[in-house]
Amino acid sequence: MTELSADQQRLVELMTGYQNGNMSDFNDLYEALKAPLTRYLWTFVRDAATVEDLLQTAFLQLHKARHTYIPPRPVKPWIYAITRHAALMHLRSHRRRQEAPPADALPDIPIPPEAEKLGDRKMVQQVLLELPRPAQEVLVLHHMLGLSFAETARVIGISAGAAKVRAHRALKTIRARMAKLGGRA
Amino acid sequence: MTRPEIPEPLRRTIASDLRPVRPLPPLWKRAMAVAVTVVAVAVAVLITHALRPDLVTLSPWVGWGAALFEGLIGLLIMALALRESVPGRALSGGVLGIVIGLAIVSNLIVVIATRLDVAGSAGMWGPLTRGMMCSRNELMFALPALLVTIYLVIRAFPLRPQIVGMLAGLGAGLTADGINHLLCPVSSLMHVLVWHTGAMLGLMIFGWCFGQVWTIVQIRRIDHSGP
Repeated sequence: MTELSADQQRLVELMTGYQNGNMSDFNDLYEALKAPLTRYLWTFVRDAATVEDLLQTAFLQLHKARHTYIPPRPVKPWIYAITRHAALMHLRSHRRRQEAPPADALPDIPIPPEAEKLGDRKMVQQVLLELPRPAQEVLVLHHMLGLSFAETARVIGISAGAAKVRAHRALKTIRARMAKLGGRA
Repeated sequence: MTRPEIPEPLRRTIASDLRPVRPLPPLWKRAMAVAVTVVAVAVAVLITHALRPDLVTLSPWVGWGAALFEGLIGLLIMALALRESVPGRALSGGVLGIVIGLAIVSNLIVVIATRLDVAGSAGMWGPLTRGMMCSRNELMFALPALLVTIYLVIRAFPLRPQIVGMLAGLGAGLTADGINHLLCPVSSLMHVLVWHTGAMLGLMIFGWCFGQVWTIVQIRRIDHSGP
């Protein structure tokens, strides 16, 4: 197994403590994961209230599934997979009820460092949110949330090679769109 | 930086159910439970059923070896179902395609190898009753391993129940075909494709449908509780 980074190692310790019934480890886990999970959820839904609801749902599912985390595996792929599932089930439920999910004004979300140099931040955000969800997901998971391509692939259910190709194409699309819009691409 | 506040309902739910939990055993241990079930079924079948009359004339590789070959690949597929039932361990579409192809090809390899080794012709189809008996046997022999796999899957947290169910059904079907290979004397390609491979694929479809029903139930729950 590959060596875990200090950040990953800390998550493993928190998760193990949480499995042992330690509430303060859960609090720390929530603190460490709230921001990245919120960012990831923005790739599925576009309104702050639903993102907040889904974050709670994801943590409740994480609680129900906490026995399925097997230490010392990396925690992130496990958690992002559960979060993704919560979001997809929400979207399917909406589709079944034929409700159009609400879309808020563009949130001030972080963007991948690779895309930051391409032009005005607001414009890059806009272009990023216009990408199809599969492309956005790979960009967010790999370039922003720090998962390796292999981990990203295991969250989404594709091969590592396919994840690489999706990320490459997504960045290429952003560059092309930014060039059209008059960015620095 | 301020520490993010945990919403009160979430905090209360977590705090009220914070008993320590034991992590799932590693994959190999869970797969071992399935393997023990398959071996137990095989032993029970060998004790209670008459073996195919031409087993003594077949080369050991084609007789016992082929049964073992199918059994091992079936177990591997069920182990993949167990792996897929843990969040963050999703298999890619390519791997799934390879696995389904491998199951069908190994089924065909066994029948072709047997056909080449058998003296004389086994007929085009074999009798219809024989075919129905073969399918029934396959379903019966697959059931215990399938139930054990489904139990282990339910104890985990499958995020793609259809895929888990499909793999569980396919793997159980293939191990059952390995056992049935020691009983069924008909080695015509048509018989095997229709009654053996058909039963195996039927189990695969059953597993997929089981997963689909599971997903629908989950979505209904969200419909009732959701915003």
